Amino acid sequence: MLSLPEIKRLPAPIGLPRLRWPFSIGETIAVASLTLVVILSIVGPLLSPYSPIIPSGAQFLAPGSPGHLLGTDNLGMDIATRLMVGARTSLFAAVVTTACTATLGLIVGTIAGFVGGWLDTILMRITDIFLAFPGPIVAMAISAALGASLSSSIAGIAIVWWPLYARIARGEVRRTATSMHVEAARMSGSRGIPLVLRHILPATLPTVAITASLDIGGVIAVLSALSFIGLGTPAPAPELGLMASTGMQYLLSSWWIPVLPGLCVGVLALLCNYTGDGLRGALRSRGV
Amino acid sequence: MVRFIVRRFVSLVVVLFSLSVLVFVLQRVGNADPVRAYLGPNASQAAIAATRIRFGLDKPLIVQYFDYLGGLFHGDLGMSYSTRRPVAVELADKVPATLELAAWVLFFAVILAVVLAGIYTLKGPVSGVIRFVFFSFASAPSFLLATLMLLFFFKQLHWFPAVGRITDTSGGGPTGFYVLDGLLTGNLAYSLDAIQHLVLPALAASLGLGVALARVLADGLSSGMASNYARTARSLAETERSILFRHSLRNASSPALSMLGVLSGAMLSSLVVVEQIFSWNGLGQYLSTAIASADFPAVAGVSLVLGAVYVILTAIVDVVLALVDPRVKLT
Repeated sequence: MLSLPEIKRLPAPIGLPRLRWPFSIGETIAVASLTLVVILSIVGPLLSPYSPIIPSGAQFLAPGSPGHLLGTDNLGMDIATRLMVGARTSLFAAVVTTACTATLGLIVGTIAGFVGGWLDTILMRITDIFLAFPGPIVAMAISAALGASLSSSIAGIAIVWWPLYARIARGEVRRTATSMHVEAARMSGSRGIPLVLRHILPATLPTVAITASLDIGGVIAVLSALSFIGLGTPAPAPELGLMASTGMQYLLSSWWIPVLPGLCVGVLALLCNYTGDGLRGALRSRGV
Repeated sequence: MVRFIVRRFVSLVVVLFSLSVLVFVLQRVGNADPVRAYLGPNASQAAIAATRIRFGLDKPLIVQYFDYLGGLFHGDLGMSYSTRRPVAVELADKVPATLELAAWVLFFAVILAVVLAGIYTLKGPVSGVIRFVFFSFASAPSFLLATLMLLFFFKQLHWFPAVGRITDTSGGGPTGFYVLDGLLTGNLAYSLDAIQHLVLPALAASLGLGVALARVLADGLSSGMASNYARTARSLAETERSILFRHSLRNASSPALSMLGVLSGAMLSSLVVVEQIFSWNGLGQYLSTAIASADFPAVAGVSLVLGAVYVILTAIVDVVLALVDPRVKLT
């Protein structure tokens, strides 16, 4: 009977690995506020007694008026309710946009990086051309061609933004493809799509995810700008950019109508940027 | 060097061609039938068929594209649906308005970036505040900044006018750049008035750009301040401020400059928003109007012009960088 030499086991680590709260104070505040905003934007409209698109009180009520915490707009619609619904739309649209963009870029970049050769050259040339376009302007043109709506804004942004992710994903795939664990997987017979899905993609995902989380704030701002110039859902939809642009004519008499939606966009983008930055730092410190 | 410039020029042409293909495809993809949009809903079948042939829409797509491209070379950007005038004619006097504003935005942004990044790197008492500014102003949408500026500088302080490019619209000059026109015709009051009108919109569009630029610049400056040449300068008893402005800034300026090229795309889009708010009679305001009336040839025309401005701007930045900075690899 053959007996294998006994392998000395390392002593098991005692207790759980130390888990440290990975965010700084500022980032913690941002994460907490963002969570709060998300909850508020989902629950708030359900609890609010007002509809976001039906006038519910006197016109031009200032913030702090009884019954209307943030006042009413030129049509007498409750601004607080509209802002909560608008924030929900903004966040949801930004997440969808970023997810579409990242997925598209990931697919193109992975194919280019893994297959290589002429396919890589062609895909990267296309990527280069898209990167040379003025992104926001082309996004405007695309969503205008598709007809003004939120989904065409999302499509417009996704079409101009994916090359960035394709670049990043391609670099990561090429780097991972030469690493030891992929080498080992190749030797044990894994090839083609299974190799990519099981061994290469998991290693490239974190970098793409970090980029995506850093992008969400920017996407919120771009989406609101598109909505501001009339490329989002038409009025009276509670979209933050649209609310600001239709409220513009009342700026000097009732400042809150255009300013509050703008502030809401700014705060959302700020919180997302801070959280994204914190996430990057946290993942970096774990060696991702 | 000559080879680099030629190659950069070739890639510029390729990108411009691709842009024209994209805009052409968008015009055909759009769900509005251009002939119906042009003639209105009550047009007869015969009129529709005749216009279809007049616009060349009965030809194969590839032929249509080359017709379109040929038109572009002759400065033909198509007909506007809403005004029935050639888009190129409508854009002609709006281009100087936007370019003038854009020049001021870039000017403000660069000054803002140097000041912010300088203070931040020298670790002044307010560098914590600036760190917060870096984040918050980079996230603030330009329409928020514009509204706040209007409230503060126009409504409260009455420092600057709120709308338009000039008070006296009867004057003017050869170029369409009002500040320059005033100088050329010796009418200083005209130039000053134009500058007063420029300040608020230019500031509103430049804050976000300036802050983004300042972040890149601050990165470069702080690594410059930790470098060997800064140590040498310190050992020669140079002050921190002098090291920053005399040595570090120069070294940090080339990444910032290439960033500026990339960011000018975002700048153009915030110009669109800002022009709408300040009733600035430029490409941006025209674009917003065109979007509102679903006038796609006009949208396509503006996109092409702004796109070309951006592509040419980035090419110039690349060439300038290659000429100025010996560290740039010419590949």
